[in-house]
Amino acid sequence: MIEYRNIHKAFDLPVLTGVDMRVETGEMFALFGPSGTGKSVLLKTTIGLVLPDMGEVEVDGISVYRGGRGAVEAVRQKVGYVFQHSALFDSLHVFDNVAMGIPEDVLARMPRNETAVKVWEALELVNLEPREILSKIPSELSGGMKKRVGIARAIIGRPEVLLWDEPTTGLDPINTAAVERLIEQLSTELQVTSLLVTHDVEGGLMICDRVAMLDSGTIRFCGTPDEFRACPDPVVQAFVDRAAAEAALDMVSESYD
Amino acid sequence: MNHQSPGALPRHNAITEWFAGVGRTTYITLEHAGGLGILFGQIVVAIVSLKVSIRSVLNQMYIMGIQSLPIVLVTGSLAGIVTSQQGGYQMTSAVPDYVLGSLVVETVVLEMGPVLTALVLVGRIGARITAELGTMVVSEQIDAFKSLGRDPVAILAAPRVIAGVLVLPLLVGIADLIGILAGVQAANITVGLGQESFYFGARLFWHSWDLTYSATKAIVFGLSIPLISVHMGLKTKGGAEGVGLTTTQAVMFMTLTILILDAMFPPLLLN
Ligand SMILES: Nc1ncnc2c1ncn2[C@@H]1O[C@H](COP(=O)(O)OP(=O)(O)OP(=O)(O)O)[C@@H](O)[C@H]1O
Ligand SMILES: [Mg+2]
Repeated sequence: MIEYRNIHKAFDLPVLTGVDMRVETGEMFALFGPSGTGKSVLLKTTIGLVLPDMGEVEVDGISVYRGGRGAVEAVRQKVGYVFQHSALFDSLHVFDNVAMGIPEDVLARMPRNETAVKVWEALELVNLEPREILSKIPSELSGGMKKRVGIARAIIGRPEVLLWDEPTTGLDPINTAAVERLIEQLSTELQVTSLLVTHDVEGGLMICDRVAMLDSGTIRFCGTPDEFRACPDPVVQAFVDRAAAEAALDMVSESYD
Repeated sequence: MNHQSPGALPRHNAITEWFAGVGRTTYITLEHAGGLGILFGQIVVAIVSLKVSIRSVLNQMYIMGIQSLPIVLVTGSLAGIVTSQQGGYQMTSAVPDYVLGSLVVETVVLEMGPVLTALVLVGRIGARITAELGTMVVSEQIDAFKSLGRDPVAILAAPRVIAGVLVLPLLVGIADLIGILAGVQAANITVGLGQESFYFGARLFWHSWDLTYSATKAIVFGLSIPLISVHMGLKTKGGAEGVGLTTTQAVMFMTLTILILDAMFPPLLLN
């Protein structure tokens, strides 16, 4: 469970102005919103990478900001984070990048070949060919490959909660489907709680149990995909319509290929 | 003045501007001093709780030490040669010529060796650390470390600072030694001072304290350079431009710190 209560955050200008949102355990939850509304900032407040000016986040019963010493560390242990721009360690090989996803103390005691097996499996889950990329460094990978290595790094430690910041942006349709299937699989088989930030509205509506929309610093809509589609709010409608328009556009351009 | 609306304050009053400038500078200085203090504390905690990997310390020592050796050898020997030439030029017949030996050795060991080596490392190591960590900040790699439960201070900051403290005294020792050897040769060539007389003069005025003094300077500089460069790197904001900006600022900050600390040494330690 992730709960945001009255989150405020301003940089030069106010970004979040009172966000209240709750994601249930095992739920797949999508967060939409125009570019620059603070979706990434909100995700970062979950594990203390951005400190909110006001408000509280609770993850599986741990109060991140009022939970006292060790609360932030405890939450980071539970949560896997897929960064929007991959954020791979550019001096480390893919192998070590992914292995970094295993908690430090566990990794220190783990035999090297067991680590190798885990890294291998994680890369296969994101539809990458481990043999080809294990010994590459991030600058030798394509954007979509980096993104999937970032996902492998986030899931290898078997987190109970996953925060996905635009995991499918920049991926081809096959890999988009692979990542979406992975999110579903983790949620249904392992009861992982997933909070998915995405611009792929159609995809989000398809796989998620509930969706929300962040606009002008607050949650403008929160409900099921069907409620979202039927919502009369013009801002929400613009998203649904545009999604429909984009889907149509994709179909047209695909038939041209 | 006639054009100003009544009651409007003059916008550019030199005196208020000056005070505002002093205030800003003081504020920024205190802010950095606070940041450096906190970072130092975090590094000590990381060391005490045994979270720093020896392998990465050795790796940093290699980068700082072995790879800086050629440039340190060059600056060290030039320091000896220049001091020897300058001293020889200013010698008069009223002073016995073996005094030159003492002059060269003391200048190299007390001043030129530590300061020149430190300034070379500001450019060679300090700038590199700031740019490296700054890039990691703007590409969210530092956030990624934190999200994976890793402590960037233990992983990145501590090994660099420990390596600096250990490596700089060694490099300064080497610079001192090569500076003296080069000074001997230069004294011989420029004023015809023999090796025997040079070392006689050097021994006559030598205090064993001098070596401790040189090493203390090296340790202080060896702490300052990585500490400031890590601090500045981790404070980077913005994209590639931000990295460029903080790197330049860090180099200025480190250079000034070395020179100011150097000026504070004699009153504190040479009495
Ligand atoms: N570290 C920061 N310093 C200053 N401003 C920031 C910082 N991080 C984010 N912002 C600002 O906060 C706002 C929201 O940024 P954020 O990255 O959360 O948007 P987003 O909703 O994720 O957009 P996108 O869909 O394009 O990823 C932006 O206006 C951005 O300029
Ligand atoms: Mg974003």
